[in-house]
Amino acid sequence: MMQIKRRPETALALAHSLPPAAAAAGEAETIIRVSDLSIVFDTAQGQVIAVDRVTFSVNRGEFVCIVGPSGCGKSTVLNTIAGLEVPYSGEVTVNGRLMQRPRPDVGMVFQQPHLFPWKSVRRNIAHGPRMLGKSRGEARAIADGLIEMIGLGRFADAYPHTLSGGMQQRVAIARALANQPRVLLMDEPFGALDAQTRSVMQDNLLELRERIDATVVFVTHDLDEAILLADRVLIMSAGPGRVLRDLGVNLPRPRSNAIMLDPAYIALKKDCLDLIRTEGRRAFDQSSAG
Amino acid sequence: MRRLNILIGALSIPLFLAAWEAIARSGIVNMVLFPPPSIVAVAVLEWVRSGQFFSDFGASLYRVVTGFTLGAIAGVTLGVLTGQFPLVSSLLSPLFHILRPIPPIAFVPIVILWFGLSEAGKLFLVFWGVFFTVWLSAHIGVQKVDRGLIRAALMLGTPRRQMLQEIVLLGALPYIVVGLRTAVSISFYTLVAAELAGAFSGIVYRIEIAQQNLQTGQVMGGLAALGLMSFVADRMFATVAERTVWWR
Repeated sequence: MMQIKRRPETALALAHSLPPAAAAAGEAETIIRVSDLSIVFDTAQGQVIAVDRVTFSVNRGEFVCIVGPSGCGKSTVLNTIAGLEVPYSGEVTVNGRLMQRPRPDVGMVFQQPHLFPWKSVRRNIAHGPRMLGKSRGEARAIADGLIEMIGLGRFADAYPHTLSGGMQQRVAIARALANQPRVLLMDEPFGALDAQTRSVMQDNLLELRERIDATVVFVTHDLDEAILLADRVLIMSAGPGRVLRDLGVNLPRPRSNAIMLDPAYIALKKDCLDLIRTEGRRAFDQSSAG
Repeated sequence: MRRLNILIGALSIPLFLAAWEAIARSGIVNMVLFPPPSIVAVAVLEWVRSGQFFSDFGASLYRVVTGFTLGAIAGVTLGVLTGQFPLVSSLLSPLFHILRPIPPIAFVPIVILWFGLSEAGKLFLVFWGVFFTVWLSAHIGVQKVDRGLIRAALMLGTPRRQMLQEIVLLGALPYIVVGLRTAVSISFYTLVAAELAGAFSGIVYRIEIAQQNLQTGQVMGGLAALGLMSFVADRMFATVAERTVWWR
């Protein structure tokens, strides 16, 4: 697996520059606001509350991980921030505007790469800019810059089915970044990869994150992944989905997978595990009793 | 073992022809009704030499190609519309589902009433046979487009028009191509009905005339020509299809 290369100094590089001085100085600017969000699904067994009055906000430039067991509604929350799903009650705003449908300032990477199989790597990445009205040449320049950034220069003209799962997912990340979104949503993007590829991808993402301006909300069921990547971890519980705890991760950056041996990391992980275990037992007792 | 298979495969048709020749000339069967391949070959040669073969071949090819093309265009267009827009589907799908199971050949009598023995009637029959198969495959193809691709495209700001043209149409293409290939054989099948119902040229027309004149060699030659034509069309289509949906 290749490492992410140093960013080329192009127009794209300027557009993706580091957070502005205001954010760096600690004047937190809220970019995502999830208020009292509930989502109800209609199933054959009647209505099921998937997400129950979830409230949180994310500041500009933050990297927030939502972690929780499967079925806790974490992906549903993410889909609502994406505008792919509509709240049952409550609301989601991004950049002060209500999310009702997908918007180009919010990008998303899914668990599966979902690359367009009939398009080359370059044209997959150029798709977004083309749809937003950029000329062929501009879109190509943006794509080439991102291909360089994800270290797939040799594969610009390759088609998705010829790439490995990890490479496909890097293309999917580049494709989501091509529209220069303010917010990048990631729904278990490394969940389908093998353990080795996953840890390389995590390190790649940490590097990438140092060089882009986007705010990231990352959903995972892997606690290690969440602590490794995040500035903040939201721990959710299942049935119905609620936010149990909102934890700051004050580990130094830049980070890599090596941080998992750090005592501060281990202490934080232990706290989280205790919380999850207590909650898991409560949910289990409740379902057994019922 | 592999070589033996290839060898036996190469012998398959010559062996069949030799057995046929032997049986036809053995006196067990009536040679007028069951002529040997050598007589069939002479009949075909005569057919080609007289120039009639080319006008017959041309007439049949024209009917198949035109009817197929019109049916395919209408089928893909309406299939994409009913697949994508529930309102259009509610309006048209019940009708199509009622008409589709009626064998196209059953329409021969009414086609003769409407169109007489004109070319239009023959094109209509081929069109009718092709249309429903292609419509259904396009309709199902559109509904089976990977939802993940559509969500990804939505997140990238793809407008409705491009979504339909690029993502939905290409996503449905593997299904559409299978439908079109099935429709190739259906178009030959309806061609037979159309030409038997009354024509003035065409390969099946020639078979029918030869039958009335007890030219059994010519009948068999016509069958061989029709089979070859259908086979080549299918192979050509398979090659084109493979290149169209190469990403599969």
